[in-house]
Amino acid sequence: MCIDEALLSSYLDGELEEPYLSQTAEHLAHCAACRARLERLKGISAILAKDELPQEEIDSARERGLEVLERKLLGQEGRKPGFFRRRIEMGLGSMITAAAGLVVVFIGGFVLFGTSPEQTSEIIPSYTVQADSQNVRFVSDQETRGLDGYSLEEILSYLDSKGYNVDISIKGIQPIE
Amino acid sequence: MEIKSTDNDSFRLVYDKCYSVLIRICYHVVYNMDIAEDLVQEAFERFYLKNITFPNEDEARYWLIRVVRNLALNHLRRGKRESAMLDKVRNRAAGKAADKDAQRILDEGETIKEVRKAVSELPENLRMVIILKEYGGLDYKSIGKVLGISEGNVKIRVHRARKKLEESLAGDEAYVY
Repeated sequence: MCIDEALLSSYLDGELEEPYLSQTAEHLAHCAACRARLERLKGISAILAKDELPQEEIDSARERGLEVLERKLLGQEGRKPGFFRRRIEMGLGSMITAAAGLVVVFIGGFVLFGTSPEQTSEIIPSYTVQADSQNVRFVSDQETRGLDGYSLEEILSYLDSKGYNVDISIKGIQPIE
Repeated sequence: MEIKSTDNDSFRLVYDKCYSVLIRICYHVVYNMDIAEDLVQEAFERFYLKNITFPNEDEARYWLIRVVRNLALNHLRRGKRESAMLDKVRNRAAGKAADKDAQRILDEGETIKEVRKAVSELPENLRMVIILKEYGGLDYKSIGKVLGISEGNVKIRVHRARKKLEESLAGDEAYVY
């Protein structure tokens, strides 16, 4: 008995499973009629394949498509972020210019509108210091107290307060046995 | 590997792997390279904007093929008048792809015309299966997943489509057994 044509079609597509696969192959080996039917099916696939898109056409379409998608989708993704999310990028030059501009405006304000002591005293509390002999003390005049300025007792008590254990011996005198 | 459609690396991976299959399938439904390019591009846009996570590459591919198939069929259903007008405008705008397309048909002569006529005359359920099989290169399992039918059903439809194609191409000079 010859093979059902649906089986041949599946055989052609490599979709037949065992045991049908080996049974079909075996039958085809000795049945010329079925081989001819299989060839006919192959012929249909072959003729359909004549209308295949050439690979280079697909490749160029893929490149074109990617370009458009990148522009469209990434363009959307890269839409202007809200002001607070926008990164502020500034070169050193423009930063200096901006700072200088601020200074000019600030100083310019004083120059143009002037300042009266009354106005400033309201903002900045005035404080004047008279520099005379009463409240100026020269640093060089301050006496520095060296180690000689302290008594042995003072030194020992200082060291004791810092937690040092001081053992004193006097040169040339033997302790009493 | 999990595929997140908005992840740029995943998107690029899926784009590179699926573009050929999608454009082949789409082209053989609409038979116009410019339109096929637009529709495939739209499918990828939807893919990106939908922000879907697929468990693997295959599922992403099935989804894209389903979308392209629907877009292509909708395009055909939209009516011949509208598309004919659109084609006219597109061709006048010297679509590069359409030019090449026309040239190829001219070069291949009658064979392609006959094949297209035979494929176009197939009922939709058979036409889609044979396009996915012969031009998309999908196996029965994948076709079943895309169309939401069983593998057994795919097998039957592929066979029936081949039988019908055989009948309509029989007697054609270009079709040699």
